[in-house]
Amino acid sequence: MNSSMKDKITTSQAVVIIINYILATGILTLPRASVEKVKTPDVWISVFLGGVVAMIAGVIIVKLSQQYPDKTFYQYNQDIIGKWLGWFISACVIAYFFTISAFEVRIMAEVTSLFLLEGTPTWAIILPFLWVGLYLISGGINTIARLFEIIFPITFVIFLLVAFLSLGIFEIDNLRPVLGLGVVPMLKGIKTATLAFLGPEIMLLLVAFMYPSDKSKAVKVVLAGIAIPLLFYVITVVMVIGALSIEGVLTRTWPTIELMRSFEIPGLIFERFESFLLVIWIMQIFATFTITYYAATLGLAQVFKKNMHPFLYGLLPIIYIIAMTPKNINDLFTFGDKIGHAALILFGVVPITLLLISKLKGKKA
Amino acid sequence: MWEKVISYMPHWQVFLQGFLAFFIPYLIYKLFHVFLFVNKSNGKIEMKENSEQVEMVHIPIQKTLEQFTGDFNKDLLQMRKELGHNWDIHFREFQIGNTDNRAAIVFLKGLCDKELIDKHILKSLMNGHAEKSSVLRGHELQQSIRNEILPVSELLEESKVMKAVGKVLTGSTVLIVDGIQNVFIIGTAHGKTRNLEEPVSEAMVRGPRVGFTEKLSVNTSLLRQHGENRNLSIIEMEVGERTKKELVVAYIDEIVQPNLVKEVKERIETIHLDDVAESGYIEQLIEDDYLSPFSQVQSTERPDRVIAALLEGRVAILLDGTPFALIVPVTFNMLLQSPEDYYERWLSSSLIRLLRYFAAGISLFGPSLYIAFVSFHQGLIPTKLALSMMATRQGVPFPALIEALIMEVAIEILREAGLRLPKPIGPTMGIVGGLVIGEAAVQAGIVSPIMVIVVALTAISSFAIPQYNAGITLRMLRFVAMFSAALFGLYGIILFFLFLCSHLVKLKSFGVSYLSPTIPYRAGDWKDFMVRMPLKMMKHRPRLLKPKDSVRKGE
Amino acid sequence: MKRIQCCVRLLLVATVTLLLTGCWSSKEIEDLGLIVGTSLDLETGDVSSEEQQDARYANRQLLTITNQFVTSETTVSGTKEGALPEKAYKNVSETGDAVLPTLRNMLLKVDKRSFAEHSKVIIIGEELASTINLQQTLDFFLRELEIRPSGLLFIAQDQASQALETNEPTKIPAFQLVEMMEGHERTTKILPPMTVAKLEGKLYSDSSFLLQNVSTENGEVKFAGAAIIEGKTKKLRGFLNESDLEGIAWMSGDAKGGLVKGFDEESGAPIVYEIISAKSKIIPHVKGDQISFTIKIQSEGRIAEHWVLSDKAFDNQFLKKAEKVFEKEIERLVRKALDKTQHEFQTDVSGFGNKLRIDYPKVWQKRKKEWDQTFSEVPITCEVKVSIKDYGTSGD
Repeated sequence: MNSSMKDKITTSQAVVIIINYILATGILTLPRASVEKVKTPDVWISVFLGGVVAMIAGVIIVKLSQQYPDKTFYQYNQDIIGKWLGWFISACVIAYFFTISAFEVRIMAEVTSLFLLEGTPTWAIILPFLWVGLYLISGGINTIARLFEIIFPITFVIFLLVAFLSLGIFEIDNLRPVLGLGVVPMLKGIKTATLAFLGPEIMLLLVAFMYPSDKSKAVKVVLAGIAIPLLFYVITVVMVIGALSIEGVLTRTWPTIELMRSFEIPGLIFERFESFLLVIWIMQIFATFTITYYAATLGLAQVFKKNMHPFLYGLLPIIYIIAMTPKNINDLFTFGDKIGHAALILFGVVPITLLLISKLKGKKA
Repeated sequence: MWEKVISYMPHWQVFLQGFLAFFIPYLIYKLFHVFLFVNKSNGKIEMKENSEQVEMVHIPIQKTLEQFTGDFNKDLLQMRKELGHNWDIHFREFQIGNTDNRAAIVFLKGLCDKELIDKHILKSLMNGHAEKSSVLRGHELQQSIRNEILPVSELLEESKVMKAVGKVLTGSTVLIVDGIQNVFIIGTAHGKTRNLEEPVSEAMVRGPRVGFTEKLSVNTSLLRQHGENRNLSIIEMEVGERTKKELVVAYIDEIVQPNLVKEVKERIETIHLDDVAESGYIEQLIEDDYLSPFSQVQSTERPDRVIAALLEGRVAILLDGTPFALIVPVTFNMLLQSPEDYYERWLSSSLIRLLRYFAAGISLFGPSLYIAFVSFHQGLIPTKLALSMMATRQGVPFPALIEALIMEVAIEILREAGLRLPKPIGPTMGIVGGLVIGEAAVQAGIVSPIMVIVVALTAISSFAIPQYNAGITLRMLRFVAMFSAALFGLYGIILFFLFLCSHLVKLKSFGVSYLSPTIPYRAGDWKDFMVRMPLKMMKHRPRLLKPKDSVRKGE
Repeated sequence: MKRIQCCVRLLLVATVTLLLTGCWSSKEIEDLGLIVGTSLDLETGDVSSEEQQDARYANRQLLTITNQFVTSETTVSGTKEGALPEKAYKNVSETGDAVLPTLRNMLLKVDKRSFAEHSKVIIIGEELASTINLQQTLDFFLRELEIRPSGLLFIAQDQASQALETNEPTKIPAFQLVEMMEGHERTTKILPPMTVAKLEGKLYSDSSFLLQNVSTENGEVKFAGAAIIEGKTKKLRGFLNESDLEGIAWMSGDAKGGLVKGFDEESGAPIVYEIISAKSKIIPHVKGDQISFTIKIQSEGRIAEHWVLSDKAFDNQFLKKAEKVFEKEIERLVRKALDKTQHEFQTDVSGFGNKLRIDYPKVWQKRKKEWDQTFSEVPITCEVKVSIKDYGTSGD
């Protein structure tokens, strides 16, 4: 539980961490958010391209981290740009991580209290969630990775099952024409789609935890780790739009769940399958929440050069308070958008800059 | 702008809840830490007291002789002092051969092999070669007795009094000869033991019908009998302060990791108890996390399970006086495996194994899913089922949780009662009790029929688990799952599942993580996890134990 | 030791206070009154309550909502001692101007907690549909969480609440309606089911569509054609009868099963064709400003019944003749349906606009707004191809 690098993870664990981090609220909100911008059925192409952009960003981050194989981002950015600026960037990144934690928790609470538990107050939903996360993280990155390895196959199987069950109400006409109105609308959607792929930034930390022999494989890790959520998102978007059509998607707050609710297969044991989707979705949110919480705690511990322990407990009320801050759902969505923009800058622009600077420094020295 | 910021600030209640969010886990953490420390120091205190007592007891003995002198009278007197007051200790004095060399044997009636004593020891010594023994004295006599006179297979010489006393008490015979400094210890231990029978708690359809017995030598002999294996090492240790028992650590030299054996030995050496009554004591004292509901040491009565485990690179611990052997380290999938899986063909074994996993799942989540669906998410069940549930639950006065608790507790009581009843009544009572109580409860309108079905299914599923202690674990956890389902419905079940997985993921048994074959992903180990791949494909030992020799099959 | 005790006590207090608050959302299943069907009607009669009178005064239309409840007392197996209930369901009605307040007023009448997640049908009365915009009426149902998007929508001739009644005591009308809808796979006279999920898309894209019509005669429910809902106003325009529906089914390729009855030219005797499969393709053509459509229909089937004495089915000539007969008949049906939708009602209910959108998206963008008007003027040609695969076990 200290911030030393004694815990190690294997490559498959790193891949699974990235996958579980990326798959979060995007499954539920991506169809609507992207259709709002694109307004044609070409959304799936935008999603695909968004994933590609994320892959590029991921590779840049990995290359940056590979320059300093045994240090995490918080430790080596000081090497690159000096102490004060390094501290500032670290602080921004830490703030980003725990804000994302809080955001994920809040969205989970909203969806749960809407679809599963109507009368329960929000704090009763959030608090046990936080505590279980705390219990998990106190075991270090290794336990987190192992839990993710349990969650991932369950998610994979159930998601595919549920997605293909909805083939019954799928109409291919809703997805045509492809590129009917040209390429422009699709390009508008790329930015929103990229935001759904927030996740590769965890590689800023993970490379330090990998086994020394595996560090060169980090690029493959990132690519694999983004490819699978890409597949998931494309399938989701295709199924949702195919069944509900563009206009139907625009008015639904949570289109994916509506998709699951709009068909019933009489005869199969559960006629209604939204429970499956909700189960895997809550597990995925839990995964995202724990890994970002851990990243924030790790950052604080390494910046202040102390044990992780007090920061673990101390960050908990902060996350809770941030989670309860947005007053209604619209606020929540704008909050999410703002975080996404911050992420684009923090993890799109900053790593490239740092990479260039470190390469220049390397050449000088 | 300031107003805008203020408008975003949450209520004071949120701050209070945030404080609670931090405070409660902190309390729990402090509690466990303090608890753990105190416990450990308690143990140390206990140990100190123990050793003090031991010292005190030792002191009077130290006043007496520590070693045997050569003087026959003194030695015999010493032995009488130590043991003479016991009813079952006998002293037989005689003379060797035709000489006037005095000798005596001390033996424990009941534990010693009378025939051996009469026919081999006394006969040889008393009728021995008259000419030689009359001449020999002292050292030469000692050599002669050892080399020529006594035709017994176990013969040791002992100089310490206490050791000799200990040996007599476990069935050996002590031979004191005048003029010889050391005493002879002749192995004549022949305690009563029962027949080798199939263990009751682990019955199997196909497989050897032998189980361990209470005698350690019989157990080790069973291990050896499995087949000639030059590398099967059986190392002896001793536990217990007051009643010393023999303990044996078994492993296969070329396969096991040496660190593991070292760790096991070290942990056993830290056991300081008066009396280690059963291997369960050892299990609880050497396990990694005593607060976890999952057992980290496997106990079994079957030698074939032990041998299979040894061949995978695990270590076995056998204790004298109990037929239950311990196997370390343990992983999760071992709790749901049975050696029968390997004796039958792969297709049927794989399906049965999958069935067992499914049964374990039902046994854990059955009632909680019922509670969640009936009390919280009625929209998620098919309409016709919802209608029939409504119809049958009409008139039931209790909410689903109470109903479930009543039935579950009733079944648990029935189960415990069934264990204590004598054999002819036991199973019948279980069946009759279950049926009658269930039926009567439905008729009286206390529970609904669907609840009875759910509870019956869960009970039967928990019997499908081959290991008894895994079954107990799941039974305990089932109640926790029911409570979390009653509080939060499906969300509660999800949180419980995540909590359980977090706990399992953190659990380690002797350095091997508990969920090992599944996590981290090692495709090779999966061949034996949920399904059982054909024997032709299982060429390597599971890598989780880092064995030295990882190839199982030849070539 | 003191520390531990202190910690334990604090922990107990915290946990107990948390748990005392209780489980918030649990509701036992037998306390629920399941709503399985809802019907909405326009209220024209006298109104009783004050708020209804106020609403009428403020020039707002009143709706009467009838909910069909199934409770633990009305389900057949729920009765004890063999006392059969009179009906397996219970209908409760309320009147008001907005949907949710009216529904909540029902709380004053019903003793069980109403639970709508098993709601299967929503039936809208003819008058209501032609007076009030459908999107407004249905707004609650689209928004409310409990109503599942898999529910079916119907229009009822006359009073919708009649459709929720039945003479047979053990049947629940809402379930009956759902099961009858499954017949659409065996006849072309029933529309494919319109779920709430699909309805949303159509409502928000301003396109016209059809809703299955339900009529009640003597307490028996019958599917009688379809109602046309116009895209722009979202109100009921008119009705198509069953034979019009056949043409619609052929045009849109939704005919999964069903019959075509043709008449032999020479003898005038009926020949009946049973559909095994039917496909239709709508191909738009755009030349400059001119839009036209071609419908290509292909079908495979068998001769199910024929009254022609002079020919045998074994004879291929007869089969060819029969095919021509059917092709003509199908074309006639399609023409009839097109006539009605294009000229009489001027609404595009068969998805011609959709096809135009797919093939010529830019043209569609231009013409989207006035599509129904444009549609009534475009020429549509129709080509039918029928092939008869077999004729059952009698070759006569």
